[in-house]
Amino acid sequence: MSQAPGWRLAAAGLALLLGGCAGVAAPSEESTTAGTAQIARDPLAARHRQQAEALERDGQLRRAAEEWKIALTITPGDTRARESLRALQARIDQQVAERIEEGRKAVARRVQVEARRKFLAALALDPANRAAFDALQNDTREVEFISHTVRAGDTLSSLAQRYYGDRSRSEVIWETNQLPPNPRLAPGTTLKIPEIPGVPFVHPEARKPPPAVAAVPTPDVPRPGPAPAPAPGPVGPAPKEEFTPEVNPLLAEAREAIERSDYGDAIGTVDKYLASKPGDREGLTIKKQALYGQAKSQIEARQYPESIQSLTLLARLQPDYEDAPALLKQARARLVDQHYTQGVRFYREEKLKEAIAEWRVVLDMDPTNANARRNIDQAERLLRGLEQRMKK
Amino acid sequence: MLGPVWRQACVVAGMTLLLGACATAAPAPGPTATPTPARPGPRPAAYESEDFVVTFAQPGDTPATLAARYLGSADRAWMIEDYTGQQAFSPGQEVVIPRRPWNPSGVTPGGYQIVPILTYHNLAEQAKGRLVLAAASFREQMQYLKTNGYRVVSLAEFIEFTRLGRQLPQRAVVLTFDDGYHSFKDYAYPVLKDLGFTATLFIYTDWVGAGRGALSWNDLREMTAAGFDVQAHTKTHADLRRAQGETEAQYARRMQVELEQPQEAFSKNLGRRSQILAYPYGRWEEGLLPKVKEYGYIAAFSVRRQGNASFVRPLAAHRSQIYAEMTLDDFVKNLNVFQEENLR
Repeated sequence: MSQAPGWRLAAAGLALLLGGCAGVAAPSEESTTAGTAQIARDPLAARHRQQAEALERDGQLRRAAEEWKIALTITPGDTRARESLRALQARIDQQVAERIEEGRKAVARRVQVEARRKFLAALALDPANRAAFDALQNDTREVEFISHTVRAGDTLSSLAQRYYGDRSRSEVIWETNQLPPNPRLAPGTTLKIPEIPGVPFVHPEARKPPPAVAAVPTPDVPRPGPAPAPAPGPVGPAPKEEFTPEVNPLLAEAREAIERSDYGDAIGTVDKYLASKPGDREGLTIKKQALYGQAKSQIEARQYPESIQSLTLLARLQPDYEDAPALLKQARARLVDQHYTQGVRFYREEKLKEAIAEWRVVLDMDPTNANARRNIDQAERLLRGLEQRMKK
Repeated sequence: MLGPVWRQACVVAGMTLLLGACATAAPAPGPTATPTPARPGPRPAAYESEDFVVTFAQPGDTPATLAARYLGSADRAWMIEDYTGQQAFSPGQEVVIPRRPWNPSGVTPGGYQIVPILTYHNLAEQAKGRLVLAAASFREQMQYLKTNGYRVVSLAEFIEFTRLGRQLPQRAVVLTFDDGYHSFKDYAYPVLKDLGFTATLFIYTDWVGAGRGALSWNDLREMTAAGFDVQAHTKTHADLRRAQGETEAQYARRMQVELEQPQEAFSKNLGRRSQILAYPYGRWEEGLLPKVKEYGYIAAFSVRRQGNASFVRPLAAHRSQIYAEMTLDDFVKNLNVFQEENLR
């Protein structure tokens, strides 16, 4: 445990009791009785005093003040050091006040970048300064940014790579410009590329940000001669961006269910999602995928009525989804075949009524099916003959 | 002159109290020795003032043992490491120990501190898609934080930092987990517990106990008891920005549902309201902020991939999502803790 001299503990205790607001708890003056000569001789304190003076000369006022305090921790009776600290603190307070004042003026002139720097400089001198901190937090919103004019082929990821050397920073550009998810970037539009604290711009042009409105000329634009004309009309789909803003877990679960071909689960989950967000595009997209996948797998499993049901639901959401109309035709044709063949099977087994029922289903689904009609006629004739024979 | 000093002393005192509240109390007064004025002879074990302790490392001393001896808790070793810039001391070496926060805003003449807040979603044995991270990768990332001197702090501590109320370690990082997947309990919790890290779960209340793989309120109470923080991610995970064509009244009603109903669910199930919000999809706009405030949230987070200075607006703070396909190098890119800028 600490062998701390008692007065220090007493002082610490006092500071706590008074909430520390009663000003500096001055070390007891009794230590001065040891004499200034001895204080001056203490090599440990002397080192910190020298350090303080050197830092002060170098303009590192904050650190200089700390060194004075450290020296005074060792030799609390050093009145000369105490006076130096007092004078330095006054100098710091004045500089801080000046910087805050300059910052406020810059805010009034709406020169955000300068205001920010002034308040930051005030905090660098006095890191607990409430006025500078509040001003920085509330009054200086803008950070520096570069304007980038979109060229054909630009993606958020490629821009992030180019300006920050990190593709995943595309999210910052996305958020700053309030873009939709996976946006297509139209050539000629302008994007703000903001400064990211802790991530220096790697783009050579970016070192000295121009006035916020000016677009930075992009040095590697292929402009000699007639450039390959950008595709006329609507721009093709942008390459898939390499980022996901964030995802709703129900949608994620639905997507996963689709991946493992558990379409029923996917539809159930996405329906839960759509219940709270009817008409949500992302939800509907997933639902269509799931219905389509389900229909296909049902066709493979020869569950034709089920697949037709899935495809009918899908058609309600989007009649021309992929090859769904063709699939629906195919499913119907196979279902017709299935009933037709089943009818034939019953017929061979002399189950005429059952056979007729199957073929009637065929006719219901396909009224033009001549074979089914003929078979029914024949089966009915046979049936009638049988019944007459039975009566006799 | 007296004014600012007085104010500053009050601020500092407040901070001392805050610090005192989070860890063990200030060093207990030992036996009250007689005052020892400086005098010739052997040096005392330590010189102490209200700002500093100047002492000499004894054999076997580390920042942790010194912090335990002079700052009341080994948890404050970071104060010694950050102030001295050293992680080890040779016997007899002079060590200057700051007794209280010396830089609550993290601003220095060379630049300013930024705090990365990492966002995870789902975890599983195997990675799947972008948002289901392999458990092994997660462990590797957490181990990286530990071995590289990062200090995981709580989101509440970070928020005090944004109010000039708490100094954070220079390499402070915050961990958050979105939505409330059960995999947090299965995969993340054991790793975090091992390493002594804390985290915040942002849950959206419709999902709690609902889907497969969701945490229940019981789980959340259990996690709270284990030292993890639970905060709100709305009711339905809907985009909170005003939709096109939505009238003011409709929007107000929708925000009431998304922002207030989670509060009711928190009160009912956890016995307290939520103070921190994660914007679904990371989406927000200026017009939303007053509403967020109105329902009692003091901080809210997007998923803009950048760290946070102390002076970030608390209702528009940033988080960085960690994706399943990120390599360790990619992960490390999200750990910048300082913005260099000449502020002299």
